[in-house]
Amino acid sequence: MNWVGLSTLTFREVGRFFSVYRQTVIPGLISSILYILIFGFTLERRISSIDGIPYTLFIIPGLIMMNTLSNATSNSSSSMLQMKLLGQLPDILQAPLSSFEISLAYIIGGMVRGTVNGVLILLVGVGLSDMTVAQPLATIGFIMLVSWAFSSIGLILGQMAESWDQLATMQNFFLTPLSFLGGIFYSIKMLPEWAQGASFFNPIYYMINGLRYTILGVSDSNPSTSFIIAIIMTIGFSVVAIMLMENGKKIKQ
Amino acid sequence: MNTAIEIQNLKKNYGDTVALKGVNISIGDGEFFGLLGPNGAGKTTTINILTGLVRKDEGITKIFDKDIISDYRFTRAQVGISAQELTQDWFFPLDRLLYFQAGYYGIPKEKAKEQVDDLLYRLGLEEKRNSRLRQLSGGMKRRFQIAKALVHDPKILILDEPTAGVDVELRHELWEYFRELHKGGKTILLTTHYIEEAEMLCDKVAIIDEGKVIKEGSPKSLTNQSGKSGININISDKDIDFDRLLSDFTYTNNDGRLHFTTQEPEENLPIIINLLTNAGCHIQRVETTKSSLEDVFLSLTGKGINV
Repeated sequence: MNWVGLSTLTFREVGRFFSVYRQTVIPGLISSILYILIFGFTLERRISSIDGIPYTLFIIPGLIMMNTLSNATSNSSSSMLQMKLLGQLPDILQAPLSSFEISLAYIIGGMVRGTVNGVLILLVGVGLSDMTVAQPLATIGFIMLVSWAFSSIGLILGQMAESWDQLATMQNFFLTPLSFLGGIFYSIKMLPEWAQGASFFNPIYYMINGLRYTILGVSDSNPSTSFIIAIIMTIGFSVVAIMLMENGKKIKQ
Repeated sequence: MNTAIEIQNLKKNYGDTVALKGVNISIGDGEFFGLLGPNGAGKTTTINILTGLVRKDEGITKIFDKDIISDYRFTRAQVGISAQELTQDWFFPLDRLLYFQAGYYGIPKEKAKEQVDDLLYRLGLEEKRNSRLRQLSGGMKRRFQIAKALVHDPKILILDEPTAGVDVELRHELWEYFRELHKGGKTILLTTHYIEEAEMLCDKVAIIDEGKVIKEGSPKSLTNQSGKSGININISDKDIDFDRLLSDFTYTNNDGRLHFTTQEPEENLPIIINLLTNAGCHIQRVETTKSSLEDVFLSLTGKGINV
């Protein structure tokens, strides 16, 4: 194992997004504050509570999860595509680094960004409302787990994509709709029966509800199911991302 | 001499396009080796296979007797590559990029510091150490590319068109630096369009065309084989017995215009002039011609290197 190589690439990945924090950290915070202020405080007059939880508090775990997974995905995907397009990829592919080490560094980079964004929005949520976190360690652990899974997805997308347009298509047409349909702003019990059934096929539904359980103690899905799906996604997508890197079909000739 | 790079029967196709048709190259440890060929001849493909960027279809590729795939950690650590394409980066200053590069090769920052400082100084980039790549001129970017290849102090340096697009002054400075590195014991594999560059720097060159090595040898032996070197002397006296006087030389006499075929025109010229003047000849004009690798290349491929 090339530990120095692995840590160097990981630090580069983390350093990269911190160096442009105005693009990678601040926007998620601003949009989440706006969601809490506009959606939360205004809609709370009409939807006073869901499962006994004030509406503003109800949406905070969903906002955390939406930012966590979108940041985790976009970090590894955009970094990989950027390295491809800027001609930096040979620097790491020609170095004595294994596909496993390269993948791991990218995934950790995305995981850190997802976690940083998720935790910051959690703190904003606590600051803007009287929310108390039921299981703080489980909350942070779950944010990290989901960040890892979606950072792996990002690494797969980054390897597959050949242009920014392709990457944006994959994110805008799949990730964002699935996030919104996963129950950020509502409980699926409020949906018609067919839509409830459809939600069970949306993995992000389990992520949002798993986090909601660790923060608020309520969840549409069984918390164990959410945790197991998060674990399966983490392992499954990590393996696919590493195999794709090893195969090198989209990054080598 | 140990073998630094061994390539045998290397083949590569990109779909229906045959890039390499069975390349054979052997480069000794400490050798300065040039790979010459026009665009699309297979130079960069050969290098990219050697460094793990392109997968070969067939053939043996070894570095210091180790296979580049099964022993990739060892073989990649031995090689530094200055690629033809200039790297870009938006995020980090030059020195951090060099520390990163060293890190990928397993060298921590504290151990790389001396080498990074030395390379930035030696390549005239010290004042730019905190600048971003986009702030550098083309020549500076080219020098950074070379610094990046050397930061882990590799035994083998691969220079893919290292002076492409740089001005004459910098080209000469870089040649001097490459000579120093070679004297210091590095094995250098150079690909270039500038035949003069290969002629001046390389111990040995291979001419590659359409995916195959068509000639290999020292620049001198290749130019000698081309047979275009010689001496032209015009004399006004036509009644001299040249056959007796110049019996040691191969020459033609066309109405007082003597053409000598020789691989060493500089060495033979004074001898011939001595013989002719001692025999009372009046010499009107003297000219030496020396064939270059360019001539060799032309005669072998039937086309120029920049096609």
